[in-house]
Amino acid sequence: MLRDVSSTMAEPKFAALVDSIVADAGRRDELLTLLREDHALYRGRSAATIVRMRGWVLLALERAGVSDAALAFLLEELDTGVDPYLVAAAARALRSYRRPNAALAPFVMGALANIRYRDEPVSFDAYGVYAVSATGSSAVRELLATLAWLGPHAASAVPELEALRAPGGLPAKLRGDVERALQSVLGAPDPHDVAGTVSCCGPQVPMAAGGHRSEDIDSVLLEDHAGDRISFNAFFRGQPSIVVFFYTRCDNPLKCSLSVAKLAQAQQLLDAQGVADRIRTAAVTYDPAYDLPARLRVYGLDRGVRMDAGNRLFRAVTGNQAVQDHFGLGVNYVGSLVNRHRIELHILDAQTRIAASFERLRWDEREVVARAVEVLKATNSIPRLPIRRGRS
Amino acid sequence: MATKRKATKKATQTRKRGGSPRTASHRAVAVATSPRRSVKERTAAAAQSPLAVCESEKDFQAMLKVLCDTTEPVKVRLAALQSLQAASFSVLSFEGCRGDYIATLRQVAEDHDPELRQRALGMLMREKDGFAQKKLLEGLRDPDKALLPPEKALQLLSYDVHADAYEAARAIVRKPPNETARREALRLLAADATAAPLFERLLLDKNELREIRQIAASALYALRPERMQKHARDILMDRSDYDDIKATSLTALTQLGDETLPQDAALMKSVGRFSTGKTPPKYKQTARRFLSKYGQ
Repeated sequence: MLRDVSSTMAEPKFAALVDSIVADAGRRDELLTLLREDHALYRGRSAATIVRMRGWVLLALERAGVSDAALAFLLEELDTGVDPYLVAAAARALRSYRRPNAALAPFVMGALANIRYRDEPVSFDAYGVYAVSATGSSAVRELLATLAWLGPHAASAVPELEALRAPGGLPAKLRGDVERALQSVLGAPDPHDVAGTVSCCGPQVPMAAGGHRSEDIDSVLLEDHAGDRISFNAFFRGQPSIVVFFYTRCDNPLKCSLSVAKLAQAQQLLDAQGVADRIRTAAVTYDPAYDLPARLRVYGLDRGVRMDAGNRLFRAVTGNQAVQDHFGLGVNYVGSLVNRHRIELHILDAQTRIAASFERLRWDEREVVARAVEVLKATNSIPRLPIRRGRS
Repeated sequence: MATKRKATKKATQTRKRGGSPRTASHRAVAVATSPRRSVKERTAAAAQSPLAVCESEKDFQAMLKVLCDTTEPVKVRLAALQSLQAASFSVLSFEGCRGDYIATLRQVAEDHDPELRQRALGMLMREKDGFAQKKLLEGLRDPDKALLPPEKALQLLSYDVHADAYEAARAIVRKPPNETARREALRLLAADATAAPLFERLLLDKNELREIRQIAASALYALRPERMQKHARDILMDRSDYDDIKATSLTALTQLGDETLPQDAALMKSVGRFSTGKTPPKYKQTARRFLSKYGQ
């Protein structure tokens, strides 16, 4: 059972566990549990090991069939994945979704753009095997095959596909794959194919309000980009807040760096709507031991983030675990270093409860701001507490 | 008319010399991949070939073949590898070649020649390749499987802070096979915030090798600058400590110090002493920078 697994489980044993879950139709939901970033199995593992493990679970989804709940994990990989093995596995697994859908096409095309210059040969022969020949598959090949599977549902991608087929597009050795995809996309729609809806593929849908408010969160001590310390309550209580999570050593430019840059955009939108002094923004690091104030400040400056009393970059000086619990963070560590995390943005209400979350997929700053403004309008009349600067 | 004559003359001269850079590059590939040419000719030609390797699938495959051919002289294979690496920097042109390139590097990572292995693994680690990481870590855990000496493996693993080499590095610090490996292990651990107490201990241990203390100072500065600031002061006040360690401490204080430092009369006196007398000139300069910053 999954509760008996731990971070010391050897990789071959992990692969066998995944295979056993796939073989048992009654257990297939456990595959989604294995894709949670904070699962104990991933603690203390390198990022490369986690790629092998997650890739194997994604391939298992291909065999088991992809449910709506599983779709979010595949789309996440297509949206921001930069590892060819994971992107290839996600593209492959997507073809096991119950029905092709037009909403999936932008994700596949986006993944093509992300991965084409970092592509490499991949092997699905067995767990942990790396391709030492380029004759097999690759992330780009799998994505093109998925476009072919989408067929006429990917009609929106025709101009881009034609550009990829043209000289100067994808390399000549992939022209056959591009041609097959294009022919399939240009083919006549199946008259029996009823267009389904995929609720998670359109604009990011904020997850339901609620979340788990941890009592310990009140006593968490934060330190900001200027070295000033403040309790979690003192900063966040009294006004709604937009909170993103990041760390400065994230090597995926589509995750942390982009999230913080987009937070800067969100700040400007708040300003334009005249609510910048009524909705706070914060970027909190997953890596408080390393992301000291000087690093936070430079990171924010480089991405155009406004930093002042109501807008800060933080690290948790004490209570990092309470922060993780309160927000249900999707992150794990090898030693003190982050080894895997998801994109996550949370909107807190004035009582520091999580009112909305945007997870896994790149969020739209206009939607985030719109949601934050809704939370502001719904705020109870708790007096706005001034934030006091200075060390505590 | 005069301009046209000049352009024609230049084109003719170019043709006589051997053609455009593109043509020269293709010619270089032909020389580099020809077994009839000497090793010296071939390695020189390989250095001229990256442009062709980028643009021509035929030339690219020819160069790959030389790299993979274990009967070829190692110097020629190394030159081919160098040429392929140079070509890979042209990301757009190299797109179609990348798959074969990565696959071949993974093969060469287990070559019989140690220098080829090291170069291939280094290139793969710069790509944060999981295959290379797995092999290097296996080698640290089981020396019978090691593709490189431990110090080299650690150095390459440090290219990716997300590689899980910290446990192996700690084991090597505790029981080093050689001093170089210990040094590389410490360098790698500089990315791990939990290693700060280790670096603090090493910095303060005057029986430690000075190079190790320098590594410790640098790591502590990155991980726990406030601790480095505290110890920097103590080191500077300690007349028995070494000049190079004092200079490193001074650099840290220059970066980290605040406006209260000039009020620390004892410290300023120590630094003043350090900036004169028998201190080597390069360290005196460090002292003067500090004194200049803090208004002395």
